[in-house]
Amino acid sequence: MKQKNKMKYFCISVVSVCTVILIWFLCINVFHMKSETVFPGPVKVFNTFLDKLHTKAPDGATLQAHLWSSIKVALLGYALGALVGVPLGIAMAWNKWVDRFVRPLFDLVRPIPGLAWIPMFILLFGIGITSKALVIFLGALIACIVNSYTGIRQTKETHLWVGDVFGASDSQKLFKIAIPTALPMIFTGLRVALGTSWTALVAAELLASTKGLGYMIQQARAISRPDIIIVGMLAIGAVGAIFDALLHLVEIHVAKGMNAK
Amino acid sequence: MTNGKKLSEKSIGAVCAVVSIGAFIILWYWGTQATQLGLLIPGPFDVLKAVGTGIVGKVGRHSILAHAGYSLLRVMIGFIIGSLVGVVLGLLMGWYRIAEAIFNPLFRIIRPIPPIAWIPISIIWFGLGEDAKIFLIFLASFSNTTLNSMAGARSVDPEIVNAARMLGASERKIFTTIVLPASVPNIFAGLQVAISSSWATVLAAEMVRSSEGLGWMIVAGMNNNDMIQILSGIVMIGVVGYILAIIMRRAEDVLCRWNKSGK
Repeated sequence: MKQKNKMKYFCISVVSVCTVILIWFLCINVFHMKSETVFPGPVKVFNTFLDKLHTKAPDGATLQAHLWSSIKVALLGYALGALVGVPLGIAMAWNKWVDRFVRPLFDLVRPIPGLAWIPMFILLFGIGITSKALVIFLGALIACIVNSYTGIRQTKETHLWVGDVFGASDSQKLFKIAIPTALPMIFTGLRVALGTSWTALVAAELLASTKGLGYMIQQARAISRPDIIIVGMLAIGAVGAIFDALLHLVEIHVAKGMNAK
Repeated sequence: MTNGKKLSEKSIGAVCAVVSIGAFIILWYWGTQATQLGLLIPGPFDVLKAVGTGIVGKVGRHSILAHAGYSLLRVMIGFIIGSLVGVVLGLLMGWYRIAEAIFNPLFRIIRPIPPIAWIPISIIWFGLGEDAKIFLIFLASFSNTTLNSMAGARSVDPEIVNAARMLGASERKIFTTIVLPASVPNIFAGLQVAISSSWATVLAAEMVRSSEGLGWMIVAGMNNNDMIQILSGIVMIGVVGYILAIIMRRAEDVLCRWNKSGK
C-alpha cells in the first residue's frame, strides 16, 4: 500500500513538472504570448545549452570554461573560510578569553553581508581572483564561526562532568565530547557557508569580472540574450545543488548525528 | 553572592570588548598613518566623520539615512509578499502530501539558484525600476520561508494531531489550530534567514543597477575611487543589518514565548 502511494505521488510530481514545461512551451512557442527575445521557450533554451558547450560566442568562452573558472574561485575562498572559521568558532566557544576578545570584533563584522565588501576589495585588489576569493572567504568564515560556536555551546554539561569524573584532560574533553557533539552543527555551518560562497561569487562576477558564470549572464543581459541567461542560471543552480549533495554525503559518513539521515 | 559574581563577569567582558575593539581601531589608525596603507584606506576617524556628514549632508542626491530608507523600503515590500507566499506554500507542502507532490519538484529546481543570479533576467523582464528589485527580494525571502515552514509543519507531534482527531476536530481545524501554531518557531527561524538574505540581495541588486540606496552608494564609491564613501556605506549597511536582526529576534521573543528556542 505504502509503495503504491509512493508511486502515485511520484507520478503526480512528474506530471506537475511536465505540465509547467508544457505551459511554458505553449505560451511562448505556440501562442507567442511573449517574444523570444524577452522570454525564450524551452526548445530555444535547450538548443542554446547545446550550442554553448562548444561555441565561444558571444562572451569569449564556452560554458565549461566559465563553470570551471567560477568553481575554482569559489572553492578556494570557501576552503580558506572553512579552515579558519571552524577552528576559530570552536576556540571561541571553548575558551573564555578567546571569546571575550574575538567576539566583539566578530559582532562588528557579522551584520555586514559579504557582498557589501565587493566594491572595497575590487578597489584594493582589482577584479582578479584575490578580491573574489576574499569576499567568499569572509562569507564562509562568518557562517562557519556562528555554527561551530553554537554547536560547541550545545554540549551537555553532564557529559563534561562525566569526563571530569573519569579524569579527562581539557583537550580530551574537547576532542572526545564537545567536538563530536558539535559535528552536526559544524556541518550545517559548512553547508550554509557553501551556499553563501556560491552566491557571493555570482554577485562578484556580475559586478566586475572577465570570466565565470556570473559574467556570462551579465554579458548576455547587455546584448539581450535571455536564453543564455537562463542556461547560465540553471548551470549556477545545478552546481550549487551538486555541491550541497556532495557535502551531505560527507556529512552522512562523518557525523552520524541528528541532521544526517 | 552569585549576583556579584555575575556582575564582575559582565564587567570583565565589557573591558575585554573595549580593549579588543580599541586595539583594532588603533591598529587601523596606526596603519593608515604610519605605513603605505594610508594611500589605499582612509583612517577610522575619517570614516566616522564621513558617516556624520553623510547623515547631515548628502551623498550623491540623498543623505545616507535616505539611502538606507530606499533600501529598507524595497526590502520590506519584497519581504512581506515573499514571506506570506512562502509560509502558506510551505505549510501546505509540509502538511498535505498532494501539495508536496505538486510543488516540491518545481521548488527544488528553483531553490538552488541564488536570488542574485536572477538579477540579469529580472532586468530584462521588469526593466530597471523598482519591480525588478522587489521581485528579487521576493525570491530571496520566499525560498527560505518555504523551506522552514515546510519543516515546521512536518515536525508537528503526531500524538497531538491524533488526539485532536480522536476528539473530533475537522481536518481544517487541525491545520489552523495545531499545525500552524506548532510551526511558528520554525517559521521564525526561516524569517530570520530570509531577512538577512533579503538585505544582502537588495544590496546586490542596487550594486548592479540603481540610482539610490546603500548598494548604489558603495558601488558609486568604487566607480569614483572614493574609499571613504565605500567604508561609510559599509558601516551603515552593518548598522541596518544589525537593527533588522534585533527586530526579528524581539518579535520572536514575543510571539514564541512558550517555546524554549525562542530565547
